[in-house]
Amino acid sequence: MKVLIVGGGKSVYFLCRTFLAKGHEVALICRDHEECVRMARKLKATVVHGDGSDPAVLEEAGAYGADAVLAVTPRDQDNLAVCQLAAMVYRVPHAVALVNDPDNEKVFRKLGVAALSTTRAIASMIEQRTAIEEITNLIPAGEGKVNITEVRVAPASPVADRTLRDLSLPADSLIAVVLRGEQAIVPRGDTVLRPGDQIVLITLPANHGPVLRAITGEKD
Amino acid sequence: MREASHLRQRYRTILSYTGLVLVLGAGLMLTPLLALVGWPGEGPRAWAFLVPAAAMAGVGLAAWRLLRVRDHVVLSVREGGVIVLLSWMLVCLFSAWPLMAATGLSFTQAVFESVSGWTTTGLSVVDVARAGHVVLLWRSIMQLAGGAGLAIIMISAITGPSGPALSLAEGREQLVPHVRQSAKLVLMIYGGYVLVGVPALRLAGMSWFDAVNHAFAAISTGGFSTRAESIGYWNSPAVEAVTMPLMVLGNLSFLTAWVLLQGKFRAAGRDGEVRLMGLLLPLCAALLFLLTTRGLYPTLGKSARVAIFETVTALTTTGFSTVGYGNWNSFGWAVLIVLMLIGGGTCSTAGGIKQYRVHLLWRSLVWDLRRALLPQTAVTAEPVWQSDRQVFVSDARLRRVGTFLFLYLLTFVAGSAVLAAHGYGLKQSLFEYASAVGTVGLSVGVTSPSAPPAVLWAEAIGMLLGRLEFFVVLTSAAKLARDTWAMLGRP
Amino acid sequence: MTASDRFIVIVGCGRLGAYLANRLSRDGNGVVVIDAEEQAFAALSPEYSGFRVEGDATELAVLREAKADKADVVVAATRDDNVNLMVAQVAKVEFGVARVLARVFEPRREAVCRKLGVETICPTAMSAELFLKAIAREPAP
Repeated sequence: MKVLIVGGGKSVYFLCRTFLAKGHEVALICRDHEECVRMARKLKATVVHGDGSDPAVLEEAGAYGADAVLAVTPRDQDNLAVCQLAAMVYRVPHAVALVNDPDNEKVFRKLGVAALSTTRAIASMIEQRTAIEEITNLIPAGEGKVNITEVRVAPASPVADRTLRDLSLPADSLIAVVLRGEQAIVPRGDTVLRPGDQIVLITLPANHGPVLRAITGEKD
Repeated sequence: MREASHLRQRYRTILSYTGLVLVLGAGLMLTPLLALVGWPGEGPRAWAFLVPAAAMAGVGLAAWRLLRVRDHVVLSVREGGVIVLLSWMLVCLFSAWPLMAATGLSFTQAVFESVSGWTTTGLSVVDVARAGHVVLLWRSIMQLAGGAGLAIIMISAITGPSGPALSLAEGREQLVPHVRQSAKLVLMIYGGYVLVGVPALRLAGMSWFDAVNHAFAAISTGGFSTRAESIGYWNSPAVEAVTMPLMVLGNLSFLTAWVLLQGKFRAAGRDGEVRLMGLLLPLCAALLFLLTTRGLYPTLGKSARVAIFETVTALTTTGFSTVGYGNWNSFGWAVLIVLMLIGGGTCSTAGGIKQYRVHLLWRSLVWDLRRALLPQTAVTAEPVWQSDRQVFVSDARLRRVGTFLFLYLLTFVAGSAVLAAHGYGLKQSLFEYASAVGTVGLSVGVTSPSAPPAVLWAEAIGMLLGRLEFFVVLTSAAKLARDTWAMLGRP
Repeated sequence: MTASDRFIVIVGCGRLGAYLANRLSRDGNGVVVIDAEEQAFAALSPEYSGFRVEGDATELAVLREAKADKADVVVAATRDDNVNLMVAQVAKVEFGVARVLARVFEPRREAVCRKLGVETICPTAMSAELFLKAIAREPAP
């Protein structure tokens, strides 16, 4: 996949590196010349110096051939401009904008641009982490309508050594996968949860707290 | 030389607008003649109004039209201040004329009464029993107009200036993002208060004439009454119960009133002034009741009513009273003096130091104490709620409030000293002067037809400074003096 | 003579923004000006009787504080084309403002603007036309 990334800074560097590690082709557009030089030295990617919201620069960086454009500058207005240009002029199939102001997430979608708000994701992750320790990894999915969480079953947990059928979890929740050592088990009603298992749990935001508490045994 | 001719151009505009105010004032001067409809016997008194009104209109018209500049002129705030100062002084002087002609007051007394009217103070040297209905109505109308403010009246007029300079100079904040719309809105709210107040007072038991006069005086937080005993004349809980909300409404900032009218009750509840009032009124009323009025009146109910009413009238700087203070203990006097000094809400018709400043100084104290508990390098931003907005207070702002407080107290002390020098007791001097400079109107007897002229002039100056908030008077007077010196070519 | 008594929000208090704000306020309209820096408001004339909001107009909260959702007209006049385009689109799509105008300096964006349905004014193109006409004219004898 050919990915075009517009932005700068440390987090963008790691983003590029991640995509490169997965085997994609990466082109980066960055406004700051010194940063471009640094990126060029460290990354095996095409680094273009310029303003990503300028059509000429986008074209030079290969927008016509790109499969995805990610606009991750700290300025929402630039991210919007890049994605709209990419989608309308260069017909890039996937154009995603980073949104700093969470209020803008819905607005961008109304304008036809896929938007990601890290603020919201990070905020809810931190909230959940500080609350309960057994959780690793909380992913909001489906525009925040669904949560996917990995939870470890502690020895003292009320669900340890019980079958799924016996658990009385709140409605609208699902234990999707049980990871035991190297094995991934798709559970059924008679599957027993053992201490040390990692559960992949699907919940709705409304019942997320109660379900987690039922599994970890934490009182509020 | 160039500066002199430039200034002359600017002053043409300034005097032209002052002339416009005089014309509008002359129009107002004719309105009390409506009383002749009900009391045609006072017809001969009409000349006492027609002649001054004609003179005022003549002078005003001449200034307005002859000095008008063709091109569009933008007034600076300082020039607005000069217009405000000149207009107020001229209007007060002209308004004294009908009083002198109709009731035989001396020049000093008439000017005093006129200033007391326009500044919505309410201290009086007129014998209301013999003044006649036209004069009584004129006093109330002066208070109604003075409460709205000459700036508001002028801006609402179609040919008034288009900028906010005048409005700012007279201390009015804008309700909506255009000064003319804002002025009209203020007048509408004001008018609304009157339309509600007059029938309410009538229902409570006053005659129509009394209801009109007292509604005007309550809403403008003025305090002129048609009776010598003020509201005490009726000795009626109903009358007091209707008058008090009117006084509180008049003292509420127009901005807060506008927020309330839009239905934003919670936002209005956060306003600093509303909170301060919410604290002071019950607290002081309770203190007055327990420590002062309890033993003084025949029934406990009357004592309670007195405590509540006098608290409200002092804090809102209206000046209606239900009793005399001769038999009150010093604690009661002290409470009233403090309330009069604190005064009403900013951007309203009330006077005093203004609740906003007191609230601000209090918050400043709280922040300083809180900052002592924070790390030394902590950076803080301190907000204050003003109607429905959060305002961050800069040090410069606090400094100005501090200076204002100093000026206010200085004037208070100086004025009280003048009164004391004429033989009045310390308690009486402090009380009466707090009442004057806070444009309240409560009196313990110092202000009367037999008071020495120096006392009346001291009080009048205090009233004007209090209404126009000091700085406008001082800076505009300084500018006027300097500009006149420059225009005369510095011989 | 513009129609008065309308409520207009102007984003950006630079030369263009301040000029528009002063004129529109003088003509009797209710005006609110938004700028990220307090100093920019010094460009407003003493006659300006509208409100001032200090803040970043790309934040919805700031636009709401300026009551842009109740405006009759929104003018985006900052120095940054992207900000102007974003504000214009937000005003149109999120707040449903009737008239929205954006200043866009870069003539190459015209195509995209037209596709987005945003009414833009491009000073570069306009000045260029005027200059070209002036150059083409025969000098006076």
